[in-house]
Amino acid sequence: MDGSVRLDEVVMRFGDFTAIEKTSLAIGSGEFFSFLGPSGCGKTTLLNIVSGFITPSEGQVYIGDEPMAGVPVNRRPTAMIFQNLALFPLMTVFENIEFGLEVRGVDKRKRREVSERLLALVALEDSGPKMVTELSGGQKQRVAIARALAVEPRVLLLDEPLSALDLKLRQHMRTELKAIQRKTDITFIYITHDQGEALNMSDRVAVMSAGRIQQVADPMTLYREPATGFVASFVGENNRLQTRVIDREGERVRLDGGALGELAGRVGSEARLVNGEAAMLFVRPENLRPVAADAAGPRLEAEIEAVHFEGAWVMLEARLIASGEKLRVQLGHEVSRGQAGAVAVGQRMHFGFEPADAVVLSDDGSPMVDEETGEVVADSQAQAGGMHV
Amino acid sequence: MFRQLQARFGGPLAMAIVTLLGIWLIVMVTLPQLQMIEYSLKPNLLPAQVGGPDDRLTLANYATLFNNDIHRTIFFKTIWSSVLVTLLTLAVSYPLAWYLAKVATPRQAALCILLLIIPFWINEILRTYSWFIILAFRGPLNEVLMMLGLIDRPIRFLSGNGGVMVGMVYAYILFMVFPVYNAIESLDDNQVRAARDLGAGTVRTHRRIVIPHAKPGIATGCIMTFMLAAGSYAVPALLGSPGSRWFTQIIYNWFFEGGNWNQGAAYAFLLLVLCIGFMSLVMKIFKVGLGDIGR
Amino acid sequence: MSSQRFLAFGLRFYVVIFFAYLFLPLIIMAAATFNDSRFPTVTPWDGTTLRWFGELAADRGMWQALGNSLIVATGVLVVAVPIGIATALFLNTVSSRAKPFLYALILSPLLTPGVIIGISTLIFWRQFGVSGGIFLTVLGQATFIAAYVMLMVTARLQRFDRTMERAALDLGASQWQMFRRILLPYLKPALYSAAVIAFLQSFENYNTTLFVVGYDTTLTVYIASKVRTGLTPAVNALGLILILVTVLFAVIYELKRRREAARTVKGV
Repeated sequence: MDGSVRLDEVVMRFGDFTAIEKTSLAIGSGEFFSFLGPSGCGKTTLLNIVSGFITPSEGQVYIGDEPMAGVPVNRRPTAMIFQNLALFPLMTVFENIEFGLEVRGVDKRKRREVSERLLALVALEDSGPKMVTELSGGQKQRVAIARALAVEPRVLLLDEPLSALDLKLRQHMRTELKAIQRKTDITFIYITHDQGEALNMSDRVAVMSAGRIQQVADPMTLYREPATGFVASFVGENNRLQTRVIDREGERVRLDGGALGELAGRVGSEARLVNGEAAMLFVRPENLRPVAADAAGPRLEAEIEAVHFEGAWVMLEARLIASGEKLRVQLGHEVSRGQAGAVAVGQRMHFGFEPADAVVLSDDGSPMVDEETGEVVADSQAQAGGMHV
Repeated sequence: MFRQLQARFGGPLAMAIVTLLGIWLIVMVTLPQLQMIEYSLKPNLLPAQVGGPDDRLTLANYATLFNNDIHRTIFFKTIWSSVLVTLLTLAVSYPLAWYLAKVATPRQAALCILLLIIPFWINEILRTYSWFIILAFRGPLNEVLMMLGLIDRPIRFLSGNGGVMVGMVYAYILFMVFPVYNAIESLDDNQVRAARDLGAGTVRTHRRIVIPHAKPGIATGCIMTFMLAAGSYAVPALLGSPGSRWFTQIIYNWFFEGGNWNQGAAYAFLLLVLCIGFMSLVMKIFKVGLGDIGR
Repeated sequence: MSSQRFLAFGLRFYVVIFFAYLFLPLIIMAAATFNDSRFPTVTPWDGTTLRWFGELAADRGMWQALGNSLIVATGVLVVAVPIGIATALFLNTVSSRAKPFLYALILSPLLTPGVIIGISTLIFWRQFGVSGGIFLTVLGQATFIAAYVMLMVTARLQRFDRTMERAALDLGASQWQMFRRILLPYLKPALYSAAVIAFLQSFENYNTTLFVVGYDTTLTVYIASKVRTGLTPAVNALGLILILVTVLFAVIYELKRRREAARTVKGV
């Protein structure tokens, strides 16, 4: 059962608006693959193209090497789990799960066997005769999964299915989804704007922005080796500093941080750096540590504006003295062991980082992303121009 | 349009939908109306004369109305009386609609609505007939009035327009109550409270807040009531007398007593134009569109 | 403050009067059934009797008319309900610049006086040699009753979550299966209501029927003709029976509708 999915130069236009720019991508059979991006980035459109609800303007979708052009929704070997689940409210749990088999003309006894097996898989053994309206949110979720699995899809498409659940249940369902995927060995294509979900469950993640795939990688690589400024700021938290390249020595780059003085970092995987040109330096909050005012290496002086105690760590919101930009610093053991001394609002501190932990990317003009909401806030070019004045 | 239907329902079902809709709109709604207009523009001919020199389009059938004093009087009386019925119905319905929507508790409102629906479901003829009994020369109304000493001889209620109009208000009142009730019901209670709070009296609150909000409902109710009143045959036939004929009765006579369908068609078309005219007028005054009426 | 209270009291008093006005005529008509008087009235009361029910039962014309009414109402149901559903589905699916015009055309039978619908139907079918009778009565009535059905189906359809449709297709259903298994069951309560309303509208219609009924007669036409010629309290007996049946229908319908509404609020 080949559940591989291949997009071959797929383009989607709605009138003048290009929702999906030319995209090619291969998803392996049995892979848990996520599309991660802010709302409006085109990820749902891409899902609808795979499921067959939308026909792409250009290009072709292959599932298990079969071209899908002209194959309608109801003939594709895919099943979708909808954001609002779309369970049929007038049917029982059994009827919901068996619907796909019923329309295929599978006889009643066979159907019941399948639905009972699937109810066991999602741990809802006794709920078959219930109406779906009697179920809790988490139970509805499981029924939706069972209903989609009943048609034995080669590819399961999940459109932000956890977004309606509360936080605790959401985290629990992640584990469960991953377990179900492993048990069934079906290709999962998962759409989300929640990076926690994507990083947590996926084998590989495609980060999308403005109709384009920014990077496809496994979660660890995505976090450590962001290929673009968008990925660096969208996945995990990152401090972004606008710099110019001084020179390059192997992996290590020396940078001119303007008012911040000389900085250094490691060359990002796909960065093309030219001496004297603009570059972005990304330092994650957890890679910053307090240092002495005369310490060697890159050093940033900032005034603490807020201290958020989170238990295992402390998040500092600070402002760089030299440039006025924001800086977020995460302190762990240093604080809990009292090594960093008392950290208080209004205090000035120096923070250093290992150049190997800071990624340098060429300034590709990728949009800035608001860390809280994941929304695109501004074009980096405009932002950079403002900062260099 | 067919493409959208086909995308959603598939070819055969889309085909069935379009066929049913087409038969209805073309064969049942549009063509009969057009045919009626064509009829109204032709003279009443013997079968032998059809296709002959006399078979031509003419406005003669419309001229009849303006040359016939009695018919013209009845036409204008029908308009005037229907307007009066509409206004009367609105006046009677508005306080009730207000009570149901904003004063009554939910339980009271639910009970009242059930009580309103019951007579609404009862045959128009029976509802009218009940007034025939009440208003009869030796009927209960005259008896009561005489007992109270208000009159010393029974009144012939059933020989004037009064009986017809009372019957019409009774027959069509719910077509007014429900749209007005629905419209007032959707008004936010706080708006009324705010108006009161700002010192507006009852009259001003209604004039400035409630009635403007209820406009689509009032317009719908007025259009329906006028149309039903002007187009009523049952009520004037039961409660009227030869002296208080309604325009619909003249139309009926052209068809089934005068045997002149062409003339009848012309009168029917005039009635239709009258209703469309009234509807446009109301929609213009209340500044509402057709979309507000379907609700 | 006292003027406010006076107004509130006045409004309540008005509501009581209003319902008296609504029901008293029907009660008087019903009461007249039992008056042993040749003419239907309650004054004077000439003694209580049940004989008018007997006279009614012996009236062959009445039974004939009742039969016709039932045939016509069934016919209207068969014609108007599918048209109403189709129109509602059409309006719910299609978006086009011609839609406002079509919508006006679709609503027009509701805003046209019933007599005109009857007249135009009568005239139109004359050229095909069809004259007034049960067939034309069905067509004439269905012309505007279909619009009522459309309104009721549309009201429910607007609350339908179309992801259900997508889900059904995605699970392999054909469009027909989706319609049969998802959309139609969802519409069922509205279809029952529409059927009941259509049946009653047909049963009690007078203005349209009068023009297209020809030499046949429906119950409503029969009652009207009885009132004008040969009026006896047997008409009241018939009225009373019809009222009781209607009230029964109305109460059942209303209770069902409310239970349905309560369920819709609770569920999904």
